[in-house]
Amino acid sequence: MIELQNVKKVYPNKTAALNGVTLRIDDGEFVFVVGHSGAGKTTLMRLLLREEKPTSGKLIINDFDLTKMPNYKVAHYRRQLGVVFQDFRLFPNKTVYENVAFAMHVVGTPASKIRKRVPAILNTVGLGDKLNRYPNELSGGEQQRVALARALANNPKIIIADEPTGNIDPEMSIEIMNLLLKINRLGKTVIVVTHEKSLVDYYQQRVVTIEHGKVTEDKVGGMFE
Amino acid sequence: MSRYNPFYFIGQAFKSLWRNSVMTIASILILASCLVVLGSFALLVADLNLNLGELGLMNEIAIYLDPELDDAQVEEIGKTLESMSNVDTITFISKEEGLEEMRQDYAEYSDLFVIAEGEANPLPDMFYITYADVTKATTLEYQLSEIEGISKVILRLDLAMQIESFKSGMTLVFTWFLALLFVVSIFVIINTIKIAVHSRRNEINVMRYIGATRTFIVTPFILEGALIGLFSGTIAYLVEWYLYTYIEQIVVSEIRMIEVYLFSEVWQYVLAGFLLIGTLTGAIGSSISLRRNLNA
Ligand SMILES: Nc1ncnc2c1ncn2[C@@H]1O[C@H](COP(=O)(O)OP(=O)(O)OP(=O)(O)O)[C@@H](O)[C@H]1O
Ligand SMILES: [Mg+2]
Repeated sequence: MIELQNVKKVYPNKTAALNGVTLRIDDGEFVFVVGHSGAGKTTLMRLLLREEKPTSGKLIINDFDLTKMPNYKVAHYRRQLGVVFQDFRLFPNKTVYENVAFAMHVVGTPASKIRKRVPAILNTVGLGDKLNRYPNELSGGEQQRVALARALANNPKIIIADEPTGNIDPEMSIEIMNLLLKINRLGKTVIVVTHEKSLVDYYQQRVVTIEHGKVTEDKVGGMFE
Repeated sequence: MSRYNPFYFIGQAFKSLWRNSVMTIASILILASCLVVLGSFALLVADLNLNLGELGLMNEIAIYLDPELDDAQVEEIGKTLESMSNVDTITFISKEEGLEEMRQDYAEYSDLFVIAEGEANPLPDMFYITYADVTKATTLEYQLSEIEGISKVILRLDLAMQIESFKSGMTLVFTWFLALLFVVSIFVIINTIKIAVHSRRNEINVMRYIGATRTFIVTPFILEGALIGLFSGTIAYLVEWYLYTYIEQIVVSEIRMIEVYLFSEVWQYVLAGFLLIGTLTGAIGSSISLRRNLNA
């Protein structure tokens, strides 16, 4: 469960990116986060990732109180989350297989388990036949699917995707969204930041709208403008 | 940690060394040069000590007493001398003994000394003392000259002092030199690791998101620094070996007066010292660099 109470974030340059966000996301939910550019969506994701600390307010994820977490616990906390970025951020000199395997290696997974699990995950995202390709030999949609596989590798409870379809053409975007929904059905909490109104309207899920650092709307359904 | 494969870290360290080969080679050369200079200095100092060790025994002061003094006063001065710190041994030579000594030294002219016997003896009574600490010898000399009844104090400082000050001068130069070289080496390694971190910053960022611990991220870089140090130590050892044996041969065959340690007697210390100092310098430099350039 993700719980935010009156969370504020002021960057060192005095930009108030979040002005008191209160939000609750239960386990297994699928949530779109929408809002204009500069509204504070990415800031919200960075707080969830503990890349930034809230200036004030309460932020609790699963059993972790992010406002009180010391730095040395951050690495272990992050294993609760799988992250997908707009620009994929794959390791360019690792193959598809190695990219996913490395995520498991990082958290100390035994090699035998890695060998079993990586092909299975890559099958789930439909890349079972491209294990030995390098990222630059893949389309944007395929790269994002590798990123998704990597995010799933350590079996996190929560998937966070900040504009996962921002660099991908529309048909591929649908594929990525379908995958995210499929992952959600498998029991994971999925949070997707997006600008794409058509996608949001199409999927009819919970939509949290953020404007000027505040939640202005929180409904199931389309994107209201 | 134990669940990680150590070969992963070593592999990563070697990859990084290879990727930054120019910086790697530069830092190995600089660190190795520093080690060679350091090692040569240390061996030189060791050889000097071997040769100069015994020369410190000449710590003697001659004290001339006022000829007017009576026996009681002389005895009094003897007691004062005994009570002084830094005075090691005291020998009294009366003017008669002094004359006798002189007569023996100049035996062919012994007849001439007849005219100087008894009341005519021109020599004063004397004390010869030795002191323990050469660095405080001049202080002692001054204190002695202040004592009533002592007419003249002669400190045979010259050689002993020169050797001593030469040694301490060498030690001082050596210490500063060592500090300087250490700073230079650390600086070079800090920069090498900085470049290595910089070239992998995107990768490191992603590793953080995946949940990599600081240890996991940092270990390859520490190893990289340590490896640079290890290579430098090895190269420095080989160079030192060549240099020192070369000089050793010249000294042993041509300047037989001087004694030197043979490389075959000291090679273990040289090797262990180089590897240890090199590796430590590398690892420390790397840690400093990571603290500065990897805001975890
Ligand atoms: N590191 C930072 N330092 C200072 N100000 C920042 C920083 N990151 C974001 N901001 C500011 O905070 C506000 C919110 O930014 P944020 O990136 O959260 O917006 P966003 O909703 O993700 O926008 P977009 O849809 O364009 O990605 C903006 O005014 C932005 O300029
Ligand atoms: Mg954003």
